[in-house]
Amino acid sequence: MGERVRLKEATPRREGVWVRLVAWLERQASAFFLLPTVLVILAFVLFPLVGSLYSSLSRLRFSDGGLELSFVGLANYRKVLLGSEQIHFLGQPGAIGWVMGVMGLLALGIGVVMYRRYRAGRPVWTWLGQPLLGGLLLLGFAWLFLSRLWPGTHMGTLQTTLFYVLVGTALQYLLGLGLALLCAERLPGTRFFRVLFILPLAITPIGVAYMFRMLTDTGKGPLVPLWEALGWGGFFWVNDPWGARLAVLIGDVWQWTPFAFIVLLAALQSVPQEQVEAAAVDGASRWQIFRHIIFPYLLPASATLVLIRLIEGFKIVDLPNILTNGGPGTATESITLHAYFAWRTLDIGTAAALGFLLMLLVSLVTSLYAAWVLPRARGQV
Amino acid sequence: MRRRRSPLAPSPLQVGLSYLALGLASVFVLFPLYWLLITSFKLPIDVNSGPFYLPWVDFKPSLHAWEYVLGTLGPDVRRAYANTAVVALSSALLALFLGTSAAYALTRFQYRPRVGAVVLFVACLGFVVALVALGVPWPAAVGLGLAVFILGLQTLGRRFRRHLSNDDIALWLISNRILPPVVVVIPIYLLFQQLGLLDTRTALIISYTVINVPIAVWLMRDYFQNIPPDIEECAQIDGASRYRIFWTIVLPLAAPGLVATFLLLLVFSWNEYLLALFLSKANSQTMPLMVAAMSGTRGTEWWYMSVIIILMILPVVLLALVLERYIERGLIVGAVKG
Amino acid sequence: MINKSLRWWTFLVLLLSFALAQQGRFQGVSINVLTFTGPQIAEPLRRHAAAFERATGARVNVTVVPFSDLYQQILTDATTGTNSYDAWIFAPQWMADFAPAGIMEDLTARVRADTAIQWNDIAPFFREFSATYGGKILTIPLDGDFQMVYYRTDVLRQLGLQPPRTWDDYLNIAQRAHGRDMNGDGRPDFGSCIAKKRNAQSYWMFMSILGGYVQSQGTRQGAFFDTRNMQPLVKNQAFAEALRVYKETTRFGPPDELNLDVGDTRGLFTSGRCALSIDWGDIGPLSIDPQTSKVKDLVGAVILPGSRRVLDRNTGNLVNCTPQLCPHAINGVNHAPYAAFGGWSGGINAKVSAPKKDVAYALFSYMSQPAQANKDVTIGITGFNPYRISQFRDIQNWVAAGFSEAGARNYLGAIQQSLNSPNMVLDLRIPKAQQYQQVVLDRVLSEYLAGQLTIAQAQEQIHNGWEEITNAEGRQKQLQAYLASLGIGAR
Repeated sequence: MGERVRLKEATPRREGVWVRLVAWLERQASAFFLLPTVLVILAFVLFPLVGSLYSSLSRLRFSDGGLELSFVGLANYRKVLLGSEQIHFLGQPGAIGWVMGVMGLLALGIGVVMYRRYRAGRPVWTWLGQPLLGGLLLLGFAWLFLSRLWPGTHMGTLQTTLFYVLVGTALQYLLGLGLALLCAERLPGTRFFRVLFILPLAITPIGVAYMFRMLTDTGKGPLVPLWEALGWGGFFWVNDPWGARLAVLIGDVWQWTPFAFIVLLAALQSVPQEQVEAAAVDGASRWQIFRHIIFPYLLPASATLVLIRLIEGFKIVDLPNILTNGGPGTATESITLHAYFAWRTLDIGTAAALGFLLMLLVSLVTSLYAAWVLPRARGQV
Repeated sequence: MRRRRSPLAPSPLQVGLSYLALGLASVFVLFPLYWLLITSFKLPIDVNSGPFYLPWVDFKPSLHAWEYVLGTLGPDVRRAYANTAVVALSSALLALFLGTSAAYALTRFQYRPRVGAVVLFVACLGFVVALVALGVPWPAAVGLGLAVFILGLQTLGRRFRRHLSNDDIALWLISNRILPPVVVVIPIYLLFQQLGLLDTRTALIISYTVINVPIAVWLMRDYFQNIPPDIEECAQIDGASRYRIFWTIVLPLAAPGLVATFLLLLVFSWNEYLLALFLSKANSQTMPLMVAAMSGTRGTEWWYMSVIIILMILPVVLLALVLERYIERGLIVGAVKG
Repeated sequence: MINKSLRWWTFLVLLLSFALAQQGRFQGVSINVLTFTGPQIAEPLRRHAAAFERATGARVNVTVVPFSDLYQQILTDATTGTNSYDAWIFAPQWMADFAPAGIMEDLTARVRADTAIQWNDIAPFFREFSATYGGKILTIPLDGDFQMVYYRTDVLRQLGLQPPRTWDDYLNIAQRAHGRDMNGDGRPDFGSCIAKKRNAQSYWMFMSILGGYVQSQGTRQGAFFDTRNMQPLVKNQAFAEALRVYKETTRFGPPDELNLDVGDTRGLFTSGRCALSIDWGDIGPLSIDPQTSKVKDLVGAVILPGSRRVLDRNTGNLVNCTPQLCPHAINGVNHAPYAAFGGWSGGINAKVSAPKKDVAYALFSYMSQPAQANKDVTIGITGFNPYRISQFRDIQNWVAAGFSEAGARNYLGAIQQSLNSPNMVLDLRIPKAQQYQQVVLDRVLSEYLAGQLTIAQAQEQIHNGWEEITNAEGRQKQLQAYLASLGIGAR
């Protein structure tokens, strides 16, 4: 009995601590929501990052008692950008007359845009900064790409990767959007399709790659009779650089369209149905409804989706590795695969150097994207 | 509150076209899976001597691959299966939890970390690394670095006025995914070796959580952004705490996003290969390793590989079947709210 | 009477105590063995490990990783001091990286003291080159790997041709057979199937062609580098001719040959779609397996074809064989069978405790002893190919496994001829061998096949790529490693 009394007496004081604690937690809510994530990432990301940066500046050797990293400065980067791996990485440029023409047009376009920005009274440093930098970058990419398309030249792993990423992301987004819209229409049976279209994601990327290896086999694959019926019996995708790249691309689209699909499908649920119905009653066409009502709601998710796929797409490795091992020649080899091949023979320095060059490239693309596309998509401009 | 039929009833032609498109897409999705399924019932000789399409018509189905995988390989497969399930589920839930709260924070609070503080932090980090490289024991180096950082924050840090924004934080989070895993796998291996966690599920759960959190943050951020803040503001006026609002109001409203994100996180960890290869020895091997393992010096054993891939897909399909309805339920809540 | 039964009792007691001693020999010691996944290698390892555990009381845990990651896994585990594996079954080619890293236990004394292993029954090449590095025995051979040419006996008979002796013969047969239906399915089949996929096994196939042109004076002459100055044996007529032959075979191959790895070509060959193929010993046992094969008893094997003209290392030209130049030539043709990959072998981690080493050694010795090994090599699923002299003697062993007697004689004959050749080409076993072969040679070969490079450009790129690695590693160091791998006095 006595205990209970004492407990009752103690309650107010305890509540005081409790209340203060709650109040403190409430004040610090912003920190408590964000900090765990930041700390977890810091704890497990920093060391690998610094470690691999160091390994990109060194060469691995075996000596008595184990492995030894000897510092070689920028030798690995030099090898990739200027030395024996240059053509492998950057491709073999060729006749560039027409490339120059296209580049000139592009430069002119950028110039016009910049002049208009200047006339519109934007501050000088702005147009000297981001647009100029971005324009130059765009020009650089265009040159790297276009100058390798001429017969007699060939693309390096850099261009191949860019091709996969840009074309692949666009296709995945468009297909995923189309399917999500179709499945959001309340037709009977769409539940079945919803689950069906998520399926490809459920297969491990390595499994997808092996599966496409089976499907695209030109001797015993299931498409051979169809192929021959179409009169393409004499064309073998594996021997043709673009054929092989296309095969890789199809596999990539097959696997990752569901990613776009599922994200957009969930985003579609936030579209207020009343607005759509009101517009329909007002006689708006389906395209108008999509363009002016539905699409704005999809924009933030779309922007995120494209960003994630851009970042992930640059790391494409399993599909080309298993489908063609980078062949014919080096036609389907991505940067990550290039690094992987070096890494497999424990040339860790070159692999890390390639990884950081890729990181530089992706950071450039991402910053451009973050500066130009994201704010607009999120309605912040 | 049942869903109302849209007054914009599609014409039969439109319905037909929709089904045509859905049907084509289904063929595109299903045919590879069908091929996988029948390959798992083929003898090697049927796989190698040309395309055969229909069991009992083209070729005689055989259970040899299933017997091998479930029988001879049985113990290995069961262990890998259990590992995959535990690792994928735990890391997906953890990443979802961390990512969702961070995403909520990034949409509802304003963070303004000073550039000076961030630069200082990076500098201190370099300092610590240099100390460790010079042979100072790491706890001492970390302590020293921390001291310098706090000291610097009190004095120097205040002098720089420029702020970063929420978007910068989000971008930093996602930028951790840029570096290809091949490049970091050896440092990660060393890290877990030092922690004594090699060949444990814990190591995989930690790695996958860290890798997947940024994706969770980004995806959930968009769903939160589409939820109008007025409901929360009302609740706040009523005296509900932030945590309570988050748990009882915001999360249910974001259910479709949560489910979609969870599914994605789950399949990412379910399917990861390279880190699993390095961080696991005998005990914690996962299913993707089993898939890759079916390609040996004798060439790829398509029949076994197909069986393993099918085994891997099944639980995800079941889960998708269960969770799919929740992607839609959010709409009903939305309608109530609207 | 009493006396006799007493003797029996004594004998029984002795036997029992001996058995008990054996039983407890390794009681309580457990080891981890790493190899790659797949029924091959892992299957016999697990099977023998179980018997071994029963006999000795030791515990053997088998861990498997995909083949393409095995090299990495062993090195990272052992060189970072993790040492979670006590022994590995791996390719002896990797010894060049493992031995300098100091992770391999010297087994010489153990082998010398072990009579049960019958060391001298192992074919000389595997004993002296494959298992030995720098004068020390570092591995126990469990498998014999070298390449041969396989042909379809029925197709050659129909065409009235003999098995190929030179690469020109090979091309001739391939051309004549190409386009015929060889398995009765009404589709035209292929003259020659060679795995040419990038980053797989293709460079080994190329070296098989090259060997006969470039090495004529025995294993110690070496086929990759000049043993005087470590210059690559690349910018010469022999290499150019081998490149030409290599590309020429593509004309008579499956259209997607550039994307076939050895698993694909084996599938094609055993399903009856190829007249010729270059492969390891595996096609023999695979061809008698009813689950995989349509060509049972229709397969012949022959030592790798050679050349009547070989490289003169002073001028870089191809010159006609003379008895001095080609001392090992058979009927004027210089054959150089290629011990590609070298055969799966067991090695022991130098950094683990002595009892674990004892157990690991006893296990490998047990697996290699004729009682176990001679049965294993006749079973397709083991992936083990013959490497012991006694394995050729008992034809019945092979007939029991499903070979016809003629088929077994032909298959074993080709293996024996290769094994007995004093001119076997040793696979490259120097530090960074993987980079020389997988990064440089393999990439250039695939670019050459894809038409991105001419013969001269390909030679130039291989030469430069190899020189770059040699210079970075140190020419003298690499040269000495190369000489050591060839068994030339480790200086």
